[in-house]
Amino acid sequence: MINKYKLDSILMKVEKPARYIGMEQNVILKDLDRTKVNFAFSFPDVYEVGMSHLGMHILYNLINGNEDYACERVFAPWVDMENQLRESKLPLFTLESKEEVKKFDFLGFTLQYEMSYTNILNILDLSQIPIHSKDRDESHPLVIAGGPCAYNPEPLWEFIDIFVIGEGEEVTLELMDLYKEHKERGYNKAQFLEEAARNIRGVYVPLFYDVDYNEDGTIKSRRELIEGIPSVIEKRMIRNLDTMFSPEKMLVPYMETIHDRISMELFRGCTHGCRFCQAGMIYRPIREKSVDRLLELAEKLVESTGYENISLSSLSSCDYSQLHLLISSLMDRFEDKKVGVSLPSLRLDSVSIDILKEIEKVRKTGLTFAPEAGSQRLRDVINKGVSEDDLVNAVSYAFKEGWSKIKLYFMIGLPTETDEDVLGIKRLAYLVKDLFFNRPKEEKIGNFSVTASASCFVPKPFTPFQWHGQDTIEEFNQKIKLVRDEIKDNKVSFNYHDPKVSYLEAIVARGDRKISKLLYKAWENGCKFDGWSEHFKYETYLSTLAELNLDGSFYANRKRTFDEMLPWDFINPGPSKKYLINEYTKALKGETTRDCRLGCTGCGIKDCAMWGVFN
Amino acid sequence: MGGIQLIIRVRFTKLGYLKYLSHLDLVRLFTRSFSRSNVPIKYSEGFNPHPRFSIGNPLSLGIESESEYMDVELNDEISPIDFMNRMNGVLPKDIQIINAEFIDEKESLSSIIKWSHYEIHLWIDNEEKRIGFQAELDKFLQFEQVKIFKKKKKSKNKIQTEVNIVPLIGNVIFKGIDEDGYVVLNSLLRSGESGNLKPIELVTAINEKIEAGINLEMTRIKRLDAFAETEGNIYRPL
Repeated sequence: MINKYKLDSILMKVEKPARYIGMEQNVILKDLDRTKVNFAFSFPDVYEVGMSHLGMHILYNLINGNEDYACERVFAPWVDMENQLRESKLPLFTLESKEEVKKFDFLGFTLQYEMSYTNILNILDLSQIPIHSKDRDESHPLVIAGGPCAYNPEPLWEFIDIFVIGEGEEVTLELMDLYKEHKERGYNKAQFLEEAARNIRGVYVPLFYDVDYNEDGTIKSRRELIEGIPSVIEKRMIRNLDTMFSPEKMLVPYMETIHDRISMELFRGCTHGCRFCQAGMIYRPIREKSVDRLLELAEKLVESTGYENISLSSLSSCDYSQLHLLISSLMDRFEDKKVGVSLPSLRLDSVSIDILKEIEKVRKTGLTFAPEAGSQRLRDVINKGVSEDDLVNAVSYAFKEGWSKIKLYFMIGLPTETDEDVLGIKRLAYLVKDLFFNRPKEEKIGNFSVTASASCFVPKPFTPFQWHGQDTIEEFNQKIKLVRDEIKDNKVSFNYHDPKVSYLEAIVARGDRKISKLLYKAWENGCKFDGWSEHFKYETYLSTLAELNLDGSFYANRKRTFDEMLPWDFINPGPSKKYLINEYTKALKGETTRDCRLGCTGCGIKDCAMWGVFN
Repeated sequence: MGGIQLIIRVRFTKLGYLKYLSHLDLVRLFTRSFSRSNVPIKYSEGFNPHPRFSIGNPLSLGIESESEYMDVELNDEISPIDFMNRMNGVLPKDIQIINAEFIDEKESLSSIIKWSHYEIHLWIDNEEKRIGFQAELDKFLQFEQVKIFKKKKKSKNKIQTEVNIVPLIGNVIFKGIDEDGYVVLNSLLRSGESGNLKPIELVTAINEKIEAGINLEMTRIKRLDAFAETEGNIYRPL
């Protein structure tokens, strides 16, 4: 345990000390001297953000469910706390036992977004753990990482000992089991890594592979440095969601967090096949939990947390095949306990609104829809299967039911986009406004507003758009200006993301091993909390790229050819490269691909769990 | 309904790391705990019903307490013991209800509480000054005027006003030096809407006035109790 008095005196000096004390309801506190393997789990962002992440609650309870293992949490300390820690020379500690992170057997990071990567380096440094994998030995924790961004692990290859690709429930325990065995007979890091790389599916140890480059900077070849390890890493996937571990408890923070509610996963995977969406590709195939199992879990979660809201979270929750039955059962069961149900994402159809009407009993707050693109042509390109009619119907229905605030989400910089498509954003926002004001006077309920939000498109690995060159910052700015100048109505507002952040995100998302140098140098030059606009240091990134002789546009704006070896090609996410190429080709022609619920579209997943159901 | 108000007054602790919960966090914790414990608490009417309770005299962040007070409105009668047991079953171990009783008082806690009693641990590096602290403290207590600047918010502006704190000090008693070497004081200070002196303000004033060499950052404070005062009578709210 770290020095309690020192901790006390620095907690007095930080803005929100409750971020660092733990002790929440449902916390699990074990005697770390009596457990056999101790795991520090880190979400590399501030407490309020990390605590809202469902995956953390799953792994926390899963690992602690084994009496030999302990899992404790550590988040990125906010800047004021970091300064205090550095000043008093206190190492970073876990929330539960206030134990030094460096004393744990494992330090595991979840990679949810690229702009949190510099925080990983900062957490290692604050923990007084060497940042590079090669500088760590048996006296340091094994540093592992997983999550969606691990599908391109290369930008972090120098820092992480082991990446796990795919869903973490099984593979995390397999790694800990193997570690326990090794620890009992005298742990040797190299031997452990070798055995994990050889025998555990989904494990990638970057130090065991080497990469050669062509003169133009693209990858020439990859090779294994030791024998018997796989050249292709297969992702991990849980086949049966009903029998897998699902948490019956969640930590309930004292502080207000982003999602102060129960989060329940209905299914994994998605069948829509939107071409920009990485999650829609890498979490395939779709697998559902049964209504019975969900009701059982809901009962236990309400009991153990006391929360009064259950959020049904999945990639596209309205797709759940038994949604009506589930929602009416939940409403029945919890009616007297005042427990509400909410859906984080809505499909643009009246069925969704019907359900919403059922669950949103109290106040009719804002509604959010995601047409993603302003024109039908462009929506076909990205295979977003919604039409303008869908939007008109859904919004009209929503107005009739008493909603008056609408948010529309768009992306700019999508492949083949023209000015006309971009202006479609304005057109749709105005259409929504007209739909409201053209209603009979007595049906104009509430104080109307519509907000169109545009994010700048970042092409991601393992999507059909992984070859696409991102718009330059100038192009983004022109398009933003185009829409912004056209919107002149105080009922219609337009928000947009900073193209500079998206540019950096694109560099890292499709980065190769050389990007690890960029992250390291940028961190040395003061970058952290890059996802927070008040901390993002664009100029520092630019000067660091120059310092390292790296060309940002090579990663962000360059259009790749199909025969180029991509940095992440050695991972098998399920859908085949052939399928992605085919989808990209169809996209450029404006051809759509059907929802694979309506019949298999041949993405290349072998033994798809839902094939029998949908075909 | 209407006429009779069922109000239960409770005394609770706020110890250990939970001293870092803000007043808002504490309100949220109680709101959840009332609902989890199934005590028959009264809810406000309207769109967003919330449980009706009020905590007297909010504690500053970072100060422990052995006695905080709160009034809770109930719909149905429930024995105070039962109330305590149910609530303590869902509250964390460092925030526990240690006493509960029905009251028929009309006045709110925040209007009757006038004094807080604190235990203060001070760190003084210089051993001579530490040992001689009692004598120096006595000197401090002889002053008829000790002025400090207090920050106040008036609408949007922050203003500083000069206040003589002597009338706000009930007593300051030197209790000795503990095994870790901290100087231990007990002090009764004015507390509440009609006059308030924070213990850290007292410590800062002592440090400036008599050059006690106190390391302010290492000061540890715990509230031992709070007292009401009406018409010259000083008594515990419960």
